[in-house]
Amino acid sequence: MGALKRYTTSVDGTIPVPALLYQDEEVIASQEGVGIYDGAQKSARHQTGAVHVSTHRLFYIDASHPRSRSFALDLSHVEQTDYWAGLLRSSAKVTLYLNALPRLATPGPTQGASTNTRQNPDSAFDVWECAVCSYRNPPGLSPSASMVCGLCGVPRAAMPTASVAVPAPPRARLEPPLSSSLPPASSAHRSPRAASDPPSRVETPAGHACPACTFLNHPSLPACEICGTPLPRPAAKSAPASRPTSDDEDEGSGGEAPRMIKVSFRKGGDKAFYAGLRQSLLDKAWEGPKLRRALASTSQDPSRAATPTTASRTGIHGILQDVQTTAAATQTNMEDALQDLETLQVQAREMVRYAAELNERLTALSAPSAPAAAVEPEEAAFIRSSLAQLGLQMANAPVTLDMARDERRWHEELARELAGVWGGWNRARGVALIPPATFLLVLPHLPSCTEPPVSRRTFASGLAVLHTPPYSRAAFSARLVGLLSLGTCSSLFFLAHEEQLPLGLVQDMVGEAEDAGDVCRDEAEGRVGAGARAQEVRWWANVFLGYVWDGQAD
Amino acid sequence: MSSSSTSLSSRTTSSGKRTRPSDVSLRYLLPSIHSAPPFFTQQPNPNTQATVSENWTKLILSYARHRRLFTLRVEDAEVPGGEWDEILRNTRINRRLLPSHLSHILADMVAKNRAVYEPAKQTRAALLLWRSPEEWAEVLHSWADSTGQLNTILTFPDIIEPPVPSPLSDIPMTLLRKAISVLAKTNRAQIISVADGEGVRFLAGNTSR
Repeated sequence: MGALKRYTTSVDGTIPVPALLYQDEEVIASQEGVGIYDGAQKSARHQTGAVHVSTHRLFYIDASHPRSRSFALDLSHVEQTDYWAGLLRSSAKVTLYLNALPRLATPGPTQGASTNTRQNPDSAFDVWECAVCSYRNPPGLSPSASMVCGLCGVPRAAMPTASVAVPAPPRARLEPPLSSSLPPASSAHRSPRAASDPPSRVETPAGHACPACTFLNHPSLPACEICGTPLPRPAAKSAPASRPTSDDEDEGSGGEAPRMIKVSFRKGGDKAFYAGLRQSLLDKAWEGPKLRRALASTSQDPSRAATPTTASRTGIHGILQDVQTTAAATQTNMEDALQDLETLQVQAREMVRYAAELNERLTALSAPSAPAAAVEPEEAAFIRSSLAQLGLQMANAPVTLDMARDERRWHEELARELAGVWGGWNRARGVALIPPATFLLVLPHLPSCTEPPVSRRTFASGLAVLHTPPYSRAAFSARLVGLLSLGTCSSLFFLAHEEQLPLGLVQDMVGEAEDAGDVCRDEAEGRVGAGARAQEVRWWANVFLGYVWDGQAD
Repeated sequence: MSSSSTSLSSRTTSSGKRTRPSDVSLRYLLPSIHSAPPFFTQQPNPNTQATVSENWTKLILSYARHRRLFTLRVEDAEVPGGEWDEILRNTRINRRLLPSHLSHILADMVAKNRAVYEPAKQTRAALLLWRSPEEWAEVLHSWADSTGQLNTILTFPDIIEPPVPSPLSDIPMTLLRKAISVLAKTNRAQIISVADGEGVRFLAGNTSR
């Protein structure tokens, strides 16, 4: 009879279930024709009845002896559930595994607002006044809801220590060693075991002995007069008459009684009921949001007394601590987010390193190879080797126009080569692949990571290039004007040759110089006897810039 | 008249001799820009083209004044052998002004009141205002004054083809009418109908110098 007795509260089953509920409680599912197993054995006294699961509790209303055999079980005790669908003559069963009852809570009804069921008659159906806002909290709320003031949210049990704002020592831990080490003569009546005696004996002494310094305080004092340690509250009204505590004690401390209760559904309805039960357990209505917070920060709940933050969190001090906690949490989140960013930066730097390396190799090549137009295969070999050095091994070798005469094939080969470079690069990056869009996003950061800075230029034609400072618009224009003012030749072909740049690129760059007014053009149509050879545009420095009339004057 | 501060590349229109103020009536001093090939190309850059047009305008008006030319047609750029060949072509650098470019320049000149399309409502020919109608009015009035013809009724042919060559010789009728109407507004001229057409009488005028 262990679990059933320890965890349940007897209720008067003649009262209809809705009348048994707290104000903030409601019935989720009901099923009649059930039997109860206490542990593995059938509980003989509870074999025909109805079960109701509410947001807070599970009720069993006995069919034959509703008044004496009905009980209620707080769902807050349920740790885990199990469902067995039944087989042949065996009915479907729902098993409720119960959590370990706090051992101290059982013997000593010391905490005014503990969630133990035995206090329900007192705490739940009592009008109490909030110490902070003086709001008179109405009765009828569930134990958890009645633990905090309905108006200001200050925990009810925090009242005594609120004014002191001293972190309350974790009594639940301190008490057993203290009480056992104390001389029996001086404070035997204060020991937890003694406290399980009828409450009248607790009240008898003239004062309360402080658990820390043994000073006998006036019974009405909430904290020790000498050392400020919160005193155990008087247990006068907390021990319920209905609860047999004596044998319970032995079981709890002695052998490991099975902590489970089974509900056997003899008339079906098990599935709907189990769903309702699960829902109820998930919702945890017995610890509402504000309540959950209050509970976490106070040491009133014995099961949470072991948490390191046992300081009282009421008053301004509590608010400040809350703010600090929130700030710390925000900080942690921010750091997490920033770590992601840093990873991205590291990758960008790596990419820049690749680009710089490539650039270096390319410039290293172009410097010695003065007779550039002469040897195509050599160039191809270079490209291949430099790509290989960069870890961009490609199955198909780089092609030049010479290798593929057919123009279409040439373009196809080029496309394949381009895809190869991209793929090779991504392969070199291992699993941290980057999409082209990211690559484009990275480009604006290149100048800050490269020396000399590699910048990006986008031309009107849509062509975008990465370039070193000598190829910036201003620098190139200056060089271009210098070249053009030599006057020897001024065709694009010549310029491309001089600059060692592709014709298309030079065209775009010269076009930009023209847009800026640095150069001007001399078109073939203006030529009187323009032959086929002279059809192309020739470029001039802007001869109109700063021109002063030097012709016939009036 | 000609400034002596011409650059070395400035060239005279004939025989390559440097122009001296004394023989300015024969030779026209071309600007150095005329030997720059881009000068003959319509530039895509609007700023550059603005300079090109400005210099062409100046060249055309200056040349027109020098040669007493009043009309420029787009076809002058199309057909060689005209009186504008000297500036519309540069055989030394093998360039010529394209008709489309000339048309663009003319439009620019009209927009800036330095030419008017003549006749109106077409864009192939323009009357060059190397003197504005107001300037022509002054020239006209001072000519009449200096030749003692104030208060005399003159026919238009009397002005356009005077027995003694004047600054107004061969002035287009349109321009002459504009000049006279400018004078008429200030009571310095009066248009009078005569037997064989129209006449004009110049008055001393109260606002004259």
